[in-house]
Amino acid sequence: MFATSTQRHFWMFKDETDVSNARLSANIKYISSRGRNMTVIEREAHFLNVIEEKSLIMSYEYQLRDFCRKFHPPMPRYVIGTALHYLKRFYVNNSVMDYPPKEILVTCVYLACKVEEFNVSMDQFVGNLKGDREKAAAIILNNELLLMQQLDYQLTVHNPFRPLEGLMIDMKTRFPTFSDPERLRPGIDEFLEQVFYTDAILIYSPSQISLAAIIHSASTSKENVDEYITKILFSEDQKRLLNLIEAVKKIRVMVRNVQLPHRDTIKALEKKLALCCNPDNNSESPAFKKRMKQSFDEEESFEDGQYPSASSDQVRSMLMGLSEMGKI
Amino acid sequence: MDDYQTCPKCKTTKYRNPAMVLMVNACGHALCESCVELLFAKGSGACPECKCPLRRNNFRVQLFEDPAVDKEVDIRKRILKEFNKRQEDFPTLREYNDYLEEVETIIFNLVFDIDPTNTNKMIDNYKKENKDITQKNRNRQSQEEMELEELLEAEKAQQSEKANLYVNAELEEKKQKHKAREKLIDELMFSDADAKSIVASHVQATAALAKEQPKAAAQPSSGVVKSSKFSSGIQIGLRGQHTNSFLPIPKQEDLPLYRYTAPVFDYDGPPPPPIEKLGKLNYFANIRAANIAERAGGYTEAMSCCRALQEALGGLFYSPQLTHKTAVLATNSSTQDTDDMETT
Repeated sequence: MFATSTQRHFWMFKDETDVSNARLSANIKYISSRGRNMTVIEREAHFLNVIEEKSLIMSYEYQLRDFCRKFHPPMPRYVIGTALHYLKRFYVNNSVMDYPPKEILVTCVYLACKVEEFNVSMDQFVGNLKGDREKAAAIILNNELLLMQQLDYQLTVHNPFRPLEGLMIDMKTRFPTFSDPERLRPGIDEFLEQVFYTDAILIYSPSQISLAAIIHSASTSKENVDEYITKILFSEDQKRLLNLIEAVKKIRVMVRNVQLPHRDTIKALEKKLALCCNPDNNSESPAFKKRMKQSFDEEESFEDGQYPSASSDQVRSMLMGLSEMGKI
Repeated sequence: MDDYQTCPKCKTTKYRNPAMVLMVNACGHALCESCVELLFAKGSGACPECKCPLRRNNFRVQLFEDPAVDKEVDIRKRILKEFNKRQEDFPTLREYNDYLEEVETIIFNLVFDIDPTNTNKMIDNYKKENKDITQKNRNRQSQEEMELEELLEAEKAQQSEKANLYVNAELEEKKQKHKAREKLIDELMFSDADAKSIVASHVQATAALAKEQPKAAAQPSSGVVKSSKFSSGIQIGLRGQHTNSFLPIPKQEDLPLYRYTAPVFDYDGPPPPPIEKLGKLNYFANIRAANIAERAGGYTEAMSCCRALQEALGGLFYSPQLTHKTAVLATNSSTQDTDDMETT
């Protein structure tokens, strides 16, 4: 359960500033390694700063959700939740410029399907993607190990969905004065969707998030579940009640402030990203292709950060596909 | 490949005669058989390459292409006769490894003639100190060898028995056929009945016999079964006498007895009701009932209800803490990075 999980022991932050600090350090590390010969102003113009990165990641989170919603066979909520968790965790440790988010996105979903035992074969999976399927399969398989490594191989994620069900059952059993908590479901679902775009999942425990969802939904329908919380849940621990109230308040504030970035800003940022991204990890770049070709010919070993595991056939087809796409 | 090996003395003979056998001596040099004979016919007894004194019986047929390897194999056999301790003789793995290292050092020194005086001293010291253990190990080894031999013999005996039985069965068959034929002839000669009917009845009789034969053969052959145990349970033969039974049982320290401590779960939240009480508290009214297929597999509603409640109530008391690793490192490294940025 959550209290003994790796999620609690290794992937939690104290508040939003901590999360931003972690992202900032990843950003700085990338910029200082790539832009060693630039002045501060040049760097600012060339590279993305933390806020821009955050907007980009948020747009990619929306894309992930869309992808999963259109997924065939229909993907359960907890798989989407796990995939979003992985994406968030990955980009807390790494900069957006370092690894292309589109590739990491599909890899996160693929890994989440595996971990949450939602069995999808690779063929079925890439059938949901547009474009060259073999290339996509090669990309996913190449990035999978990298993703796992950046997650420290701690793949179990506790999502708020099961605590939500538990709280519903508990409310129905121990708090019968509140008639039909199922009425709150639509509001709850919407809240939980939004909460994944915030950093709340990295700061608060999933049961607190689901309780916040219930409270939010109740207040929007002008109901009151405070009695449940004070009398039944926290009847013995009044001081912890204050702690929880604080947490719930903060979560609701975070969700209220969620704002999808504007499409034009995103387009501009993507253009900038294409210029300043790390060519070694970007499968579109000529440096990468050259490296892959080298590896295919000579079978050398690789430096850090690159984990090609595609077989020679896949690499060949990838190169063929890439060279056909455009003579770069 | 054999043609490449030349006898260093006569040089030519080896090329011409691939059947020639190289012998190797104690100092590791090779000589072909005829040269060896020649050398000792003259009675000289010195190695043509290194001039160390040799004895005729020290020449062994070379097993390996490289005479150095043969020399090492020989030395190793000799040394291991003395240094025959096993892992069970050492209390820790480390000590066993140290012992093995010592043995290898000695062998290495002897093969490459490094510091022979010291090495020999080491060997003698070891021999003196470990005479009894060496002896015991030798006995144990010889016992094990004998046991292995016994097993092999038993197998061989079984096989020969089977072969005998088979041969006997064949003989029996032949005899019976012969008898049947003779009986037929006798009847034809001496009885008054119709010839055809006699032949027909005989054919029937042989058919009936043929059916019985496989049944008899299918019965398990009762050969002499070697018993391995006395009726009281003691094992016959050396298998029962392991050397361990002669050693006293090592004394166990008086460790404290194992006491069961129930695991304590820290839910970090209000305690959920225990799974046994869920029915009484009427939780199941609000949960989907298990269908027959699920219940047959052992699933009850209590399980999912309990799990959901645990997850719901667990973590409610959690207050935000920083546990992520890079955020801690960032505070150290960001100060360094800002210095770098200032200098450039």
